[in-house]
Amino acid sequence: MFHWLEKNPFFFSVGVFIVIAFAGLIEIVPNFAEASRPVAGLKPYSVLELAGKEVYKKDNCLSCHSQLIRPFKSETDRYGQYSLSGEYAYDRPFLWGSKRTGPDLHRVGNYRTTDWHENHMWEPTQVVPGSIMPAYKHQFTNIADIETAYAEAVTVKNVFGTPYGDEFQPSREAWEAHKPKVLAEAKAIAADMKDPGVKAAIEADEVPEIVALIAYMNRLK
Amino acid sequence: MQSNAALEYDYTVAKLFTYTAIIFGLVGMLIGTLIAAQLAFPELNYLFGEYGTFSRLRPLHTNVVIYGFTVSGVFATFYYSAQRVMKVSMAESSFIMMVGKLQFILYVILAAWMVVTLFMGVTASKEYAQMEWPLDVLTVLVWVLWGVAMFGLIGMRREKALYISMWYFIACFLGVAMLYLFNNMEVPTYFAAGGLGSMMHSVSMYAGTNDALVQWWWGHNAVAFVFTVPIVAMVYYFLPKESGQAVYSYKLSLLSFWGLMFVYLWAGSHHLIWSTVPDWMQTMGSVFSVVLILPSWGSAINMLLTMKGEWNQLTENPLIKFMVLASTFYMLSTLEGPIQAIKSVNAIAHFTDWIPGHVHDGVLGWVAFMIMAALFHMAPRMFKREIYSKKMLEAQFWVQTTAVVLYFTSMWIAGITQGMMWRAVDEYGNLMYSFIDTVTVLHPYYTIRAVAGVLFVAGFILFAYNMFMTMTASKKLEEEPQFRSPMAA
Amino acid sequence: MSSLMIKALAFAAALIVATLVVVKQMNVNLDDPINQLTLLGAVAIAVLTFGVSAKYVNQMKTDKAGGELAEENWDGIGEYKNELPGGWAYSFLGTLIWTVWYFLWGYPLNAYSQIGEYNEEVKAYQTKYEEKHTNPDDATLLQMGKSIFLVQCAPCHGITGDGMNGKAHDFTARMSKEQVLDVINNGQNQLGYPMGAMPGGMATGADAEAIAEYVAGGMKGEAPAMFAACVACHGADGTGNNGMAPNIAGYDDALIKNTLTNGKKGMIGKMPSFKTMITPVQEKALTVYLQSLVQ
Ligand code: HEC
Ligand code: HEC
Ligand code: HEC
Ligand code: HEM
Ligand code: HEM
Ligand SMILES: [Ca+2]
Ligand SMILES: [Ca+2]
Ligand SMILES: [Cu+2]
Repeated sequence: MFHWLEKNPFFFSVGVFIVIAFAGLIEIVPNFAEASRPVAGLKPYSVLELAGKEVYKKDNCLSCHSQLIRPFKSETDRYGQYSLSGEYAYDRPFLWGSKRTGPDLHRVGNYRTTDWHENHMWEPTQVVPGSIMPAYKHQFTNIADIETAYAEAVTVKNVFGTPYGDEFQPSREAWEAHKPKVLAEAKAIAADMKDPGVKAAIEADEVPEIVALIAYMNRLK
Repeated sequence: MQSNAALEYDYTVAKLFTYTAIIFGLVGMLIGTLIAAQLAFPELNYLFGEYGTFSRLRPLHTNVVIYGFTVSGVFATFYYSAQRVMKVSMAESSFIMMVGKLQFILYVILAAWMVVTLFMGVTASKEYAQMEWPLDVLTVLVWVLWGVAMFGLIGMRREKALYISMWYFIACFLGVAMLYLFNNMEVPTYFAAGGLGSMMHSVSMYAGTNDALVQWWWGHNAVAFVFTVPIVAMVYYFLPKESGQAVYSYKLSLLSFWGLMFVYLWAGSHHLIWSTVPDWMQTMGSVFSVVLILPSWGSAINMLLTMKGEWNQLTENPLIKFMVLASTFYMLSTLEGPIQAIKSVNAIAHFTDWIPGHVHDGVLGWVAFMIMAALFHMAPRMFKREIYSKKMLEAQFWVQTTAVVLYFTSMWIAGITQGMMWRAVDEYGNLMYSFIDTVTVLHPYYTIRAVAGVLFVAGFILFAYNMFMTMTASKKLEEEPQFRSPMAA
Repeated sequence: MSSLMIKALAFAAALIVATLVVVKQMNVNLDDPINQLTLLGAVAIAVLTFGVSAKYVNQMKTDKAGGELAEENWDGIGEYKNELPGGWAYSFLGTLIWTVWYFLWGYPLNAYSQIGEYNEEVKAYQTKYEEKHTNPDDATLLQMGKSIFLVQCAPCHGITGDGMNGKAHDFTARMSKEQVLDVINNGQNQLGYPMGAMPGGMATGADAEAIAEYVAGGMKGEAPAMFAACVACHGADGTGNNGMAPNIAGYDDALIKNTLTNGKKGMIGKMPSFKTMITPVQEKALTVYLQSLVQ
């Protein structure tokens, strides 16, 4: 029979396709119903946090940092409660990472603060001697793209029904009206920072990447 | 079946992809060496401003070596060997010729665009699927064109039964097509939000744990259908061809192929062990990983047995050395992977450098060795000149073998050490090491790996130079060699 | 044994020995079953891969190709109709049978849960260290405190506890003059002491300066007159009236406990709460350790 397939490429290809597609169905489909339900109290990402998540992706922090605390005593002692599926319900894409050159960050908001991140992102070795993490000084001058983050909020609300609640309904039309809210959130973060360039940018209604990134870091709890 | 003695194979497209394989290989491995050095000497992060940090460069490394080097190698060897094992020439159909050239042009545009966007930090961030949606569209196009060329050639074939290499090329085509599409389902935000923000940005159709499942269903099988299946296609063609030996056992080829096809897809969840995907799925990933050892080793053993009694070829022909060693590195990574997939072992191995160690057994010792050997075999036939220098080839073999051994042994030790340090508690039950302790202890191993990188790149430069001279300056051949590739001392 | 096999196994052995030597240096616990299984896995990888491939490569020396050729031939490549190698075939069959067995019987499809396993790990941990954690003596607490400090606190307070040039609190002294002044000027209400809020502005100008200097100096010598304003809550010796207000003369249980529970935002920056991460014994240990740091 196999030799027959080898002489009939069409059926051969169909055979290969069936064999490989079949496992996929069993592996993927059963989980879809369950896993996307958010845990109680989980809030969607704010626009500033989404912008921060983009910085996290852009500078690809996930090449060194995981966001997945495994259920081992050694990990829960180090990073806090093990991660639950429902905590990731609004993560598009998921950012678990696959390598821990640096520590896990899934709950870093619990044990690091704005001013700490400011020092650390500017020059990691100044806070953690021996650190091999690169300094991200350019995040202090690059301006975050909050308009795209807002577009993402609109998209996840419209396409995936992400529940933003009644006070905040992102939409194409409301962008100009919502922008000041995003800036206010950024101002609150920058108040705990000392970098004069960051302060000046915030005064000029611009959000440096570092501010958005820290908003995202603080949210990871 | 008519045999056409006067058939002239046309290697235009194979040559084009050979050039890109060499160029992307060099670029990708230079970046790999740089990022390896950055972990040992962090000052190297600041060579090119924000574009030079480890984190920006890491996806460039992986994408350039996978989609640039490996995939070029796959296309080049396909366009070379498919014609020959099916006894059909590209020159016989101007349509297929055009498809092949168009595929190459779009591929080069795609690759250049990929490099630029990743440097800029435009990324969907899922591993091995970082390209944003417009690039996905182009990728699909390139792939479809490859399919048209492949099935076009199959339709015209004179050899009724498909040779083993063709089974694997077909599987590569189908597997990647299916997996890539599903994993890259994403919604462009510019359009969904009615014209706000960046055109390039998108959000994944899947969230959280589901997204992770789809991603690693892809990620694992990208390993299967890019780093394994087409490379097996290569070894089945180039080793028997270079050595003049018949393949050891049809039955072994057959069971290995269908076994691999059936088992590979089930194992993807071994990337998600101890995560938030259901326990039974994780266990499925572990169990099938162990089964996967056999169909993987099947092909390697088949190739080693094909060389039975040919010790003198092994010692005298560096191309045979490359291919035999590639088969054994393939065995190494396909035993190491399954063992790392065992739940208790994964508790240590996951997230550590032992994983990149495993990865590079495969990608350096197996993928890169095989592609370089294949291109060397093709060169005298495509360019009608003998290989420029055997000495250089020998030197390259030893330098690169040393490099792979240094790479995997250093990361093996580093990973196991780090994994155990993360778990270690002192006599009172408190964590023994702060995170930074587990980082600084790795410095010597990161340094060794950087040295391995330098050696491997040095070998690759020898390869590139040797190939270049073969194409342009080496002694011309009157007649195509049947088996062993001719080479000047 | 062939020389090739000997070389292969020697390489495997060298790799394993090197791994063991390095791991041993880090004092990790090799009784941990996870560590043991990992090492066993490593041995299996090295021995099997190098051993089996040496066996086949050796056949290139010792054996001869042969068998019945199939009719087909592709670009000059022939194919033998040889049987499957026995070891391979039986192993394949064996793993397949094992899979079926494991899924249906060996692995209790619905009875296993990794969270259940975690709970058991925690229980086992508690039993194991229970004794050490009930009534530890001061030397033990000091040791414990140091190791917790290095893992949890050093990223901010520095490895020596000196606060790394003012990035976080400096434990080698109780408080700096600036920190005290900041509290005098602005008051403070975040640590959750029974006294509630401390109002700001109780002293100003030179008085405030003098008080701050006195407090930061370790409350030695004559107290400035205006310190009387503070005594009501913090006591004449500054130890805080049995935990009603913070001890401003030294580190005590209440201060550590309240800081770890509530976090603290001061003039230097902000410390987050460690409520969920530090157990009561660890808290005690940290207190003892921090007390040892003051000069
Ligand atoms: C080259 C690897 C590398 C990259 C890339 C990297 N980090 Fe790190 N990171 C580390 C290491 C190593 C540590 C531990 C030492 C330290 O704290 O500096 C660390 C620590 C951290 C910590 C402290 C966590 C803790 O528990 O102490 C945070 C927060 C962090 N990184 C954020 C980031 C962000 C955000 C990015 C991307 C913009 C990033 N890192 C990129 C290696 C990296
Ligand atoms: C009404 C009672 C009261 C008086 C009077 C008072 N304090 Fe306090 N003080 C407190 C309380 C309560 C706290 C803790 C507040 C909190 O929960 O954050 C505190 C906190 C402090 C702290 C911060 C301790 C720390 O570790 O952060 C300092 C320093 C301090 N007081 C100094 C003074 C000085 C100097 C004076 C006199 C000028 C003074 N206090 C007067 C009640 C008082
Ligand atoms: C993210 C940084 C950070 C971490 C981690 C941290 N601290 Fe702090 N801590 C601070 C800062 C900043 C202050 C100073 C606040 C101020 O200005 O009073 C502080 C203050 C304190 C104080 C108060 C001193 C006082 O006089 O009020 C104590 C006690 C303390 N830390 C103990 C600890 C312990 C114990 C740990 C570890 C379990 C720890 N800290 C971890 C940042 C940190
Ligand atoms: C029997 C075959 C194999 C199995 C069962 C297997 C198993 C595994 C496992 C368990 C991991 C680690 C997952 C984790 O904990 O993070 C892994 C990672 C990886 N393997 Fe393999 N492996 C196999 C063969 C190969 C081969 C031949 C290659 C390449 C040529 C390869 C390339 C990779 C890559 C690139 C990763 C890294 C994925 C990531 O980014 O996290 N594997 N493999
Ligand atoms: C000169 C040779 C090379 C060197 C020095 C090198 C170095 C590196 C380094 C340092 C990393 C990052 C590891 C980490 O994050 O800890 C990496 C990742 C990776 N490299 Fe290479 N590399 C080389 C060649 C290659 C080649 C030829 C390929 C593929 C054909 C390849 C594929 C990969 C992949 C898939 C990863 C991701 C692994 C993971 O996520 O686990 N590399 N490489
Ligand atoms: Ca990875
Ligand atoms: Ca994509
Ligand atoms: Cu995998």
